[in-house]
Amino acid sequence: MDRDVILTMRGIEIQFPGVKALDGVDFTLCRGEVHALLGENGAGKSTLIKCLTGVNKMDAGKIELEGKEIRPTDPKNAMDLGISTVFQEINLCDNLSVAENIFIGRQPMKRGQIDWKTINKRSAELLERFHVHIDVTRPLSQYSTAIQQMVSIARAVDVDAKVLILDEPTSSLDSAEVERLFDVMRDLKAQGLGIIFITHFLDQVFEMSDRMTVLRNGRLIGVYNANEITKLELVSNMIGKDLDDIFDLKRAAQKDGAGMMLEADHIGVPGKVENISFSQKKGELLGFAGLLGSGRTETAEMIFGVSRLQDGTIKIDGRTVKINEPMDAIMSKIAFCPEDRKRDGIIGDLTIRENIALALQARRGMMKPMSRKEQDELAEKYIKMLAIATPDAEKKIRELSGGNQQKVILARWMATEPDLLILDEPTRGIDVGAKAEIQRLMLEMCEEGMSIIFISSELDEIIRCSNRIIVMRDGKKAGELNGEGCTQADIMKIIAGEKDGETA
Amino acid sequence: MDKKKSNRFINFITNPKYLMVLATIGIFLAIYIFGAVVYGNKGFTKLRTFAMLFVDNAYIGISAVGMTMVLITGGIDLSVAAVASLTGMFIAYGTTILNIHPFVCMAFAIVVAIALGLAMGAMVTYLKIPPFVATLTGMFLARGVCSLISRDSISIDNDLIDKLAGWKIYFMKLNDAGEWVKIKPVAYINLNVVMFIVMILIGTYILQKTRFGRNVYAVGGNEQSARLMGLPVDRTKMMVYGFNGLCSALAGIAYSLYVKSGWNLALQGGELDVISAAVIGGVLLSGGVGYMVGTFFGVLLKAVIPALITFNGTLSSWWGKIITGALVLLFVALQQIVMTSSGRKKKGPKKKET
Amino acid sequence: MKSKESIFKSKLTWAVIAELLILVIAGILEPSFFKIEYNQTTGMLYGSIIDIINRSAEITIIAMGMTMVIALGGTDISVGALVAVAGAFALKFLRWDVTVYPTPGDYTVYPFILVIVVPLIICTLMGLFNGVLIGKFKLQPIIATLILMVAGRGIAQIATNGKQFTTGYTPFRFIGQGSMLGLPFPIIITIVVCAVVMIFVRKTAFGTFVESVGINPNASRVTGLKSDKIIMIVYTLTGFLSGIAGLIYSSRISSCDSNNAGLNYEMDAILAVVLGGTSMTGGKFSLTGTIVGSIIIRTITTLVYYFGITSESIMAFKAAIILVVIVIQSEPVGKWLATRNARKQKAGELHG
Repeated sequence: MDRDVILTMRGIEIQFPGVKALDGVDFTLCRGEVHALLGENGAGKSTLIKCLTGVNKMDAGKIELEGKEIRPTDPKNAMDLGISTVFQEINLCDNLSVAENIFIGRQPMKRGQIDWKTINKRSAELLERFHVHIDVTRPLSQYSTAIQQMVSIARAVDVDAKVLILDEPTSSLDSAEVERLFDVMRDLKAQGLGIIFITHFLDQVFEMSDRMTVLRNGRLIGVYNANEITKLELVSNMIGKDLDDIFDLKRAAQKDGAGMMLEADHIGVPGKVENISFSQKKGELLGFAGLLGSGRTETAEMIFGVSRLQDGTIKIDGRTVKINEPMDAIMSKIAFCPEDRKRDGIIGDLTIRENIALALQARRGMMKPMSRKEQDELAEKYIKMLAIATPDAEKKIRELSGGNQQKVILARWMATEPDLLILDEPTRGIDVGAKAEIQRLMLEMCEEGMSIIFISSELDEIIRCSNRIIVMRDGKKAGELNGEGCTQADIMKIIAGEKDGETA
Repeated sequence: MDKKKSNRFINFITNPKYLMVLATIGIFLAIYIFGAVVYGNKGFTKLRTFAMLFVDNAYIGISAVGMTMVLITGGIDLSVAAVASLTGMFIAYGTTILNIHPFVCMAFAIVVAIALGLAMGAMVTYLKIPPFVATLTGMFLARGVCSLISRDSISIDNDLIDKLAGWKIYFMKLNDAGEWVKIKPVAYINLNVVMFIVMILIGTYILQKTRFGRNVYAVGGNEQSARLMGLPVDRTKMMVYGFNGLCSALAGIAYSLYVKSGWNLALQGGELDVISAAVIGGVLLSGGVGYMVGTFFGVLLKAVIPALITFNGTLSSWWGKIITGALVLLFVALQQIVMTSSGRKKKGPKKKET
Repeated sequence: MKSKESIFKSKLTWAVIAELLILVIAGILEPSFFKIEYNQTTGMLYGSIIDIINRSAEITIIAMGMTMVIALGGTDISVGALVAVAGAFALKFLRWDVTVYPTPGDYTVYPFILVIVVPLIICTLMGLFNGVLIGKFKLQPIIATLILMVAGRGIAQIATNGKQFTTGYTPFRFIGQGSMLGLPFPIIITIVVCAVVMIFVRKTAFGTFVESVGINPNASRVTGLKSDKIIMIVYTLTGFLSGIAGLIYSSRISSCDSNNAGLNYEMDAILAVVLGGTSMTGGKFSLTGTIVGSIIIRTITTLVYYFGITSESIMAFKAAIILVVIVIQSEPVGKWLATRNARKQKAGELHG
């Protein structure tokens, strides 16, 4: 068995500011093996890959390729060593032709000139293997994401690679295309390539991989043979069940005869999420569960107008509303704490005070400025209420820890006194204490009559807090459960597709 | 067989890669034909008029070759006119005041220009200073040094320069007696035109036939991807700015042959002529798209407008600027449309990480 | 622990220190530099310092708008051309029919109000044009403003038929050459413009909105800000301010000069903003800093004149200053300084 090992990573550690992204992770890959790398978002899969391709530098650990220690310095260097990668986002130049994207940087030359004929011919042949028949001289931008994905795989495969990394290669492919890709993967496997396969589609994991490595919170959870583990076991390993005793929380009590807050009727954006219908009462906490990319965030973004609703209608407080941009949602007293705090949440260089006041100010309009005194009072009130750890309100928000940033964003929206608050992964990447505080806060707000949509990957907190739970799978609503009496296994079964549950 | 050919032709026409270039050529031809129809009797169609388009604009064209590459990487260089002017000063001051051999002056100017180009390239590449600001600094510096050399225009008094400037290839024809005579009105091309055409050819070769040239496109298309594909992004950017320095110096040489003097304020605003020639030629200012052929026709298109206005005789020559501005707007709009329809995502202004 | 704002303030402090340093050097070299005299007949103060502030008026006014353009992460390179446009239209209305008025003198053909208002409206519309291209159509600011930078001077030339008109009309000449309260009138205009802009920006939420969009456009949108509107307002304002600067400039020279009016003003305005501590990458901005930056530029220029160095070589001095500023501001250097400081602090903690 040892003879077959092609790649070993031992004790890999990577420290990011504030968090340990990888903590002593081991990983081995054999020749002719498809090895799935699994874990929820933030578990450390991408970091491990980036470490292997030289994008991130490791703080400790050892990588051996065919028994020799290597230290990849950048993707080019990794490629030269024989580690070829297809990244999750398509990393090609869409201004160049399809053929050129496959060959750039290693073009065949003839008499000192680029041999375009060979490039075009060989690319066409290469793509034939994937049953892709296109004009390879046209710019990549003209083709669909699926084709682009195929092109980037073709590029990675054509290099003389020993190790091939596929990071979510199937996320933009339809089932026929996935089958073609799998055929190619089987081919390559037969040729003795070691393939690292990252995906969140569990069916595909079980169809393709020989072994799987599960990571959680930067730590190695286990390595399993595909035939020795069930889907359910796998999901529970990925998601984890660390129920902490510090959480002593009770669901918000539901008042009888509370009116409807939100009614979504077959809403969707074709290709992303489709046919989502649900309703929410006033004072209700509605949990959204599901794996990453299952359409939870997209649903929230539709309700808030970040992405424009294309099908269906939304009723707020019984009235149909048109929400074209976030301002419309704000006017309907909706608030939204986005998932990507850094990109969509904080205004890094502004102070805590300015960040808190911003949404309220935006609703009031430019010409009705809040006085400095008002802003100070507002900031002070929420710093105290949410226990934001800062010397004063004039600190720049980007200098705060993740948990405190999250609280500031929460304060920003609480200041607008919304009727409906959407929280997308509000507890991700923050420490346990802050997590508990945010959960306690949500429940208090519900008690006071606010409705909350709570999106989270962590099942235990969803179950603990939600009155009702909607489970998403592949851009569709897969089931609805009552929060009371619901177990993690119930949700996992729906996520894993073993059961389509409508127990509510 | 015929069908296959016509298919290939349609394919070529509809390929958005070439659409912008074809638009440039089309508009140039349209304007030229318009001129020929309206002012044909005044001699607009004469070979001389056509040749003069080249003679009068060769220095802009030479600079545009380097600018095209810079723009394709997604950068910009505002220093080109100042560097060309500085080259002119070196040549004028060197040959006329210091009595140095012209070739030595030129070589010195070229070395200085390339060094300045590399310095600006380093600021852009390694210090991550926006190209606009980095090259603006270069422009100030070059202009300042110009003025430190001399505040006054220096006319060049050097035999070799005169010879180079006076060298011409005349267009000839056979007369009835079977002798070669110059056509009337006299049409010629000079050294500058030869330099312009040679530089366009070299530029085309670099962009289409070398790995470096293709990397230029990749960097402009998506720098992040280019890096992940293992391309030498930093080296490519440095070389492009260095090459542009060379082109600026050559443009300066051409300009001093054209006017036979050096002046610290020469070519004020010339960088805009060069940039707009490239944009009209279909080079995308956000990077990744552009052809030397396009730039070639961009220069001609930009040159033919003042020519037309001259032939008209009644219009103010300033309409030239307005029409140029309108053309830039037209091409930018066209690019936006082509890019959106071909599905390429717009690149927003790059934002720093917060 | 001091909050980060003190560093932001210190950028302004640095600018002021630089200005004072330059003045001290000037004073040592030439003590008469600081002399300010009161002229009884014109009722105006004279002296190098007054002159510096007076001559910096155009750039200061334009740079008010440019500060916010840069805070949004953009640039506006059309301002110089707009200065020429404003001058051209003003002079066009002052004196058009050469057969009626063969020589310049103290008269105007059209009402004075038109002379002032029409150029300002035209420049405002041109600013709006920039704003629409950038805010609505999402063009890169450099390309969008390049269009008017090229076409603007052409329009100015057409307006005046390519001629350089001169005028002797007193009310118009007063704008650039008159005086009020003992100060040259451009200084008064500058003070009023700066005050109005600062009140508008800081007493409404506008300034915060601009900074917010400049720092993180995505998050700003999610928070409910309408970034395209904000962008359009800023570019329109910059166009309007360029118009005012154009009127001052052409009044100073009692003429219009479509070729040279406002030449390189875009560069000077950007430089003033950067010197004043606003980063080219956008975000937090300081209008006060910009005013100081503008005065620094003018001080250098005046000094260079004062000591008889050729005016054109000012460019070289400017280049040197800009180089130092942008290199210090650049990301890698900033990171390097930050890690060095952190290391020092750590070392200090260990020893202490």
